[in-house]
Amino acid sequence: MSMNATEIARGLAQVERGDPPPKIASPIDARWYRNIAIGLLAIAVLAPVGLIVYQSFLDGPFFSPRSSVSLEAYRYVLTDPTFWIALRTTTIFAFGMVFVAVPLGGILAFLLTRTDIRFKRTLEILVLVPMFISSIVLAFGYTVSVGPSGFLTIWFRELFGGVPWNLYSLPGIILIAGLSHVPHVYLYVSAAMRNLPSDLEEAARTSGASIWQVSRDVTLPMVLPALIFAAALNLLLGFETFGIPLVLGDPNGILVLTTYIYKLTTLFGVPTYQLMAVVAMVLILITLPLVFFQRRLLRNSRRYAALGGKGARATPLKLGGNGQVIALTGIAIWLLVSVALPIGGISVRAFVSAWGQGIDLLDYVTLANFDRLLEVPSLSRGIVNTLLLSVVGGAAAVFIYLLVGLAGHRNHGTSNTVLDYIVLLPRALPGLVIGLAFFWVFLFVPFLTPLRPTLVALFIAYMVVGLSYGLRLLQGTLIQVSPELEEAARTSGATIGRTWRDIVIPIVRPGLAGAWALIMIIFLREYATGVYLMGAGTEVIGSLMVTLLQTGAMDTIAALAFISIIMTAAGLTLALRLGAKIHD
Amino acid sequence: MTELVVKNVQKWLGGLQILKGASFTADRGSIVALLGASGSGKTTLLRCIAGLEQPEIGHIRIGDKVAMDSDKRILLPPEQRNIGLVFQSYALWPHRTVKENVGYGLKLRGVNKADMDRRIQHILERLGLGHLADRYPSQLSGGQQQRVAICRALVYEPRVLLLDEPLSNLDAKLREEARYWIRKLILDLEICAILVTHDQTEALAAADHILLLQNGRIVQEGTPHEIYSNPTSFYAADFLGANNIARGKLLSMDGDVARIGGEGWELDGVVRERQGLSPSVDAQAVIRVERITIGDAPGPNRLEMQLDDSVYLGDRWEYRVRRGDFAVKANGNRRLPGGKVYAEFPPESVWVFPAAQG
Repeated sequence: MSMNATEIARGLAQVERGDPPPKIASPIDARWYRNIAIGLLAIAVLAPVGLIVYQSFLDGPFFSPRSSVSLEAYRYVLTDPTFWIALRTTTIFAFGMVFVAVPLGGILAFLLTRTDIRFKRTLEILVLVPMFISSIVLAFGYTVSVGPSGFLTIWFRELFGGVPWNLYSLPGIILIAGLSHVPHVYLYVSAAMRNLPSDLEEAARTSGASIWQVSRDVTLPMVLPALIFAAALNLLLGFETFGIPLVLGDPNGILVLTTYIYKLTTLFGVPTYQLMAVVAMVLILITLPLVFFQRRLLRNSRRYAALGGKGARATPLKLGGNGQVIALTGIAIWLLVSVALPIGGISVRAFVSAWGQGIDLLDYVTLANFDRLLEVPSLSRGIVNTLLLSVVGGAAAVFIYLLVGLAGHRNHGTSNTVLDYIVLLPRALPGLVIGLAFFWVFLFVPFLTPLRPTLVALFIAYMVVGLSYGLRLLQGTLIQVSPELEEAARTSGATIGRTWRDIVIPIVRPGLAGAWALIMIIFLREYATGVYLMGAGTEVIGSLMVTLLQTGAMDTIAALAFISIIMTAAGLTLALRLGAKIHD
Repeated sequence: MTELVVKNVQKWLGGLQILKGASFTADRGSIVALLGASGSGKTTLLRCIAGLEQPEIGHIRIGDKVAMDSDKRILLPPEQRNIGLVFQSYALWPHRTVKENVGYGLKLRGVNKADMDRRIQHILERLGLGHLADRYPSQLSGGQQQRVAICRALVYEPRVLLLDEPLSNLDAKLREEARYWIRKLILDLEICAILVTHDQTEALAAADHILLLQNGRIVQEGTPHEIYSNPTSFYAADFLGANNIARGKLLSMDGDVARIGGEGWELDGVVRERQGLSPSVDAQAVIRVERITIGDAPGPNRLEMQLDDSVYLGDRWEYRVRRGDFAVKANGNRRLPGGKVYAEFPPESVWVFPAAQG
């Protein structure tokens, strides 16, 4: 044993302090790769955010030589009464949405995971549908079905002489948004309910609790973290919503923060970048704490889930005949309102040329609405571009998420903490703001300027928008590879890169296909990101609809919305075929 | 020939030191067992040798290559250590056939196709798996998977074969057989193997040399026979075998000979651990169950005791005998009627240790 005195002393000192001596730097653990991949991602995320911050402190556009640092933009926005009204409306809207979506989503999750409700398999997929349709399409669908001159409204008025609803009011918007966000709540709460070990409930039952007491005293407290998480998520989505308030709120001048940003341009006639940046900053300051709060909740709820015992299911609660009817009717009404109504409206609207009181729709069936899509180059390009972005871009995005996922895979270094926080940032930004910020980046950075009028610009922005969702999908897949499978490759003589190539990637391949289909749907439904970023030649369906709304070209919008629905349905079918884990 | 040198390996996990300076060497054609309870650090030590964990301090040499040295700031990644590791879970790659699993190490070493096929086939046949080469791991039984895992770790002739509880997922009968053929295989191939186990029978039957670990330290090492019959600490004595523990006071001590006693009983024994022992302090004795005999007449080293019950265990009877607060188990081959018996405690089998601290 050759141990000198200093070494022993050092060793002893360490023992006393309880601190380990520093590790020897491991020569090869893909540190370079990890740092570069995470570094590039950090740039892609931080550059647009940084530009927003910078722009908000200028008194003119950042590229104008006459702009100087000032708080003028903040002063303007914070003294603008419209801004305060928009902020108030946004807050009411977000909380109202939570108020509608969380209880309904919780009940839905309970019914589908804990009871013997009929048609469970079908319903599990059907209830997720509203999540996959872009909210601009949904909102437009509501306009044409239950708006002031919607099909249903006219029909109802013919029968009863009037309608008891007003879609273009704040309660109407909140209700619509809340109903369409039920799946987001359902997704998290049902996952928590599935992970709940049945022995906990059975223990309560054998102690003498009735099944309803068990639900109240055991199930509810156990899924409370998931409920709170879902509430926080919906609050976040509420602050970021753009499509629904744009379509349904605008006619009556109801503004939220995102539509306020959008309207600023119309208000001044010229783009007022500094004001937009300030409102974006306000949004970030509201949403970022929410994102961090969610992150902490997620950690805690994972701790709960880790307690989960065996996968054995609890004996499902028997609903009984009446219960079945009530539960199924409730779900049917909800599906009718949040799926059938908007989609049905669009499907009819896309194929008629006129409607109104006393008009037989069958007399006005036409395909002319679709002809325009072929005639106007920007519209047909939009369809092709949307397909390209979602199919090819989706695959490319999954590849990038995989590279980033590997960089963070079993990474215990500082770079992983950086990655953790980087991923959170885009979630705090509405797609509209991310698109705007990237538009600036592509204007500002000289060597990127040539890319601005290409789909690459849109792709990068989409990639960042889908980052947190996509990366979570990939990380979830990667983490399922048992560490020992990787260690076995290492001890057999494979480097870490070789291990990823030969072991990890082949094992996760099926998961990659599913992730691709899901990302494809996310990209298909995206409409806000392209609003500022798209230009002649890079049109996409969703953003085209936003711009067409200004012109009131309802026939064209209806045709585009219909195509968007068909594409989403195709994507969803593909995702299910590929065995995508929608329920994760 | 020494294939593995481990010197003063220390590892921390956060503020907790989980390896406190383990040192040992292992030779070609021999099996060293790391034996210990869970949490003793045996698997961590194995993973440090494999390079899957990084110790903060220490020196590890595999073959003629220094794999780790905290002074010279050397740390080789696992793939450069030329080792084979058999995992407790076997860790067979589910997307690769048996042949592809076994051949991976050869492929990484650039062995040509013909040579590779020959070597894979050779080792598979040697372990009776020749007909399973094209199956996937999920199509194999547990015992077959274990043998594939061993083939995979052996086929490229590593300098050191590391086995992490390789038998714990097999059922009892299979385990006994596997213990035997794994030992035979390693000796035949003349490789150096390190076996991690918590099962004393496994260590005693399979290893040439046993290192007994406790709380991140090697507390005793030696041949299986030495470890079993010459424990130098209470922990070592108690960890192996089936034991009776007698707690009392040290009555007298003369060199290695001591006398321990409690309420109504006294026994002659030998001192195994001197430190902390002096007359009239608390002491404890470990007596292997198989060393006690039950007789029906008084005699030297015999203690009159009360037989409470005889328990049938299939191959033998277990006697529960008692005198005051001193209760022991002993074995015999017939049922005895309850009542007065005379238990014989050979003094050389009554191992006296200082009482546990606290």
